[in-house]
Amino acid sequence: MAIDDQDLAAATVGASPGAPTAAGWIARAGVMALIGWTVLCYPTNVLSPFTVGGVEANAASEAVIFAVIGLSLNVLIGYVGTISLGHQAFVGIGAFTSAYVVTEMGQEFFIAALVAALVGAAQAALLGAVSLRVTGLYFGLITLSYGIMTQESIFQIESLTGGTAGQPAPRPLGFESDFRYYYLCLIVLALVVFLDWRLIASKGGRALLALRENPRVAATWGINVKAYTVLGFAVSGLFAGLGGALLAHRDTNVVANPFGLNLALVFILMTVIGGLRNRAGVVVGAAFFALLRNGELLEILHVDNLFASDPINLTAEVLPLVLGPIMLLLTITLFPGGFGQLTSTLGRWLRGGSFKFVKADKEVQITDVRA
Amino acid sequence: MSAPEPMPTEPTTLLQTHNVNIRFGGVQALRDVNIQINEWEIVGIIGPNGAGKTTLFNCITGFYAPTSGRVRYRGEDVTDLPVHKRTNLGMGRTFQNVGLVKSSTAGENLKTAQHLEVDYDPLAGIFGSPRTFDVEQHTTDRARAILDLMGLAHLEDTRVQGLPYGVLKRLELAAVLATDPDILLLDEPGSGMGPEEAEELGDLLLKLREEFELTIVMIDHHVPLVTRISDYMYCLNFGEVLTEGLPDDVRRHPEVVRAYLGDDPDEVQ
Repeated sequence: MAIDDQDLAAATVGASPGAPTAAGWIARAGVMALIGWTVLCYPTNVLSPFTVGGVEANAASEAVIFAVIGLSLNVLIGYVGTISLGHQAFVGIGAFTSAYVVTEMGQEFFIAALVAALVGAAQAALLGAVSLRVTGLYFGLITLSYGIMTQESIFQIESLTGGTAGQPAPRPLGFESDFRYYYLCLIVLALVVFLDWRLIASKGGRALLALRENPRVAATWGINVKAYTVLGFAVSGLFAGLGGALLAHRDTNVVANPFGLNLALVFILMTVIGGLRNRAGVVVGAAFFALLRNGELLEILHVDNLFASDPINLTAEVLPLVLGPIMLLLTITLFPGGFGQLTSTLGRWLRGGSFKFVKADKEVQITDVRA
Repeated sequence: MSAPEPMPTEPTTLLQTHNVNIRFGGVQALRDVNIQINEWEIVGIIGPNGAGKTTLFNCITGFYAPTSGRVRYRGEDVTDLPVHKRTNLGMGRTFQNVGLVKSSTAGENLKTAQHLEVDYDPLAGIFGSPRTFDVEQHTTDRARAILDLMGLAHLEDTRVQGLPYGVLKRLELAAVLATDPDILLLDEPGSGMGPEEAEELGDLLLKLREEFELTIVMIDHHVPLVTRISDYMYCLNFGEVLTEGLPDDVRRHPEVVRAYLGDDPDEVQ
């Protein structure tokens, strides 16, 4: 996983007492191998640490796709400093675009995914232009209605989306099986992680971080605040479009129904609880919520009957919206770095530092959530 | 940087405001302000709180649009240009309440401030074009060099938040230098400093002018500092230019003394 500059800086501080012993390195290698094994071999029957079938592989694919979407929302909330309650529409537009390009225009998946990413970027840029005029709570309202409007109107146009029957979205050649599709998702996630890393390591990302915190200072440093805000939205839309395309072809048929407000809330929860501006944290947070939502996590932990029986009858689908707000509260009050706080501690240790827990900057994080 | 205009109003004039007026509702914050800053000059702007000094800076740098009047830079009318374009022309400014990205490190701040110097398209950066890696290395090196010059090299990887005020002020100055300005507009660079620190700041500004061929406009309440290093001085009061001239003359001007420095002129010493 790519590493934040800040993490690196912290890592050098953590490493000062002395390099780990040989046993320490073996332990680190073991943990690394375990993580790699779980991520890479999860959906394969032979080497998997779990007993898995197509259902589990699809659930794992969803976790990876949610990670892509989480990184997309992280650009918006973490870098641009605005909120989107209509992110399910960003994803949905990507999903329908990709399905349409493959089914109705007879193109390859890879072309369709590219088109979906570009369309996603374009519609996000449009919303970004609106954000220049309307900010704060009212912009939140606009994104909220944008999401609902998209689901209720654009996604219902039969010639584009197939209406209630949905738009077929076949798997790309060579990735037809559920197991192989998981690896396609991983490849796209790696691509998005790379783009996000380069964004933050280059002038565009620096401009976004500056204008999020202080647009006046950003402008005096020569940053075109309006243009970069729109750029930030476009990058977020690009990632969301890719995530949507992956989601579409995983399900092999896209319908409008899942792209409701419920999903938008899960996206926000998983990103903030994952840890804003922390790539690994967002990925872990998103995967956690995806697996919670599709019931996979409960199954792995053998607690799937705990919530789905009398007197508490919570289906896995609504569980994120019950646990999420509690975790959000904890994130804001006690654990400002979210999952990212844990992943960076682990990351530091894996790179040879001590296992030291560094609390994230509270003040800065709170202002994000308030945005 | 832009070449000299064909017909400058005066060959050495860098910055000029022409009858600048600005009104916020019922308050006339600036009234017919005319100031002129020549190249290589250090110009001090003094005046009591609420005199409109920062408002004037905001008009010059583009945060406020004057109700009437023009701002000229190198003979060119920049009144309608947005802030970042004026930066591109060579204006650099600091803020009263420290203009830095507090959640980033000092090094990151200086890299961000070099925005216009970083020579690649932001999209090329995102998609990881190989050239951007080289340019980034150069940006990092330059940030380091400027930090070094300002004696802040040890803070490169330190988060800005929580640093002492004096260090922040110095770092802010470093960041503005990173934008490669021709003119520095400093809003109270000496605030919160004791007499010794102010003395040091004065020396630093003189050195920077020498090194970077800068023109400097500074607002400050620290009258000894301003009079020591300024070549010319303006005093604002109630949004108007009360008087202007050589620092010592302005400082002793009876109206200035009455309006700003108290009734006893000896206090100034």
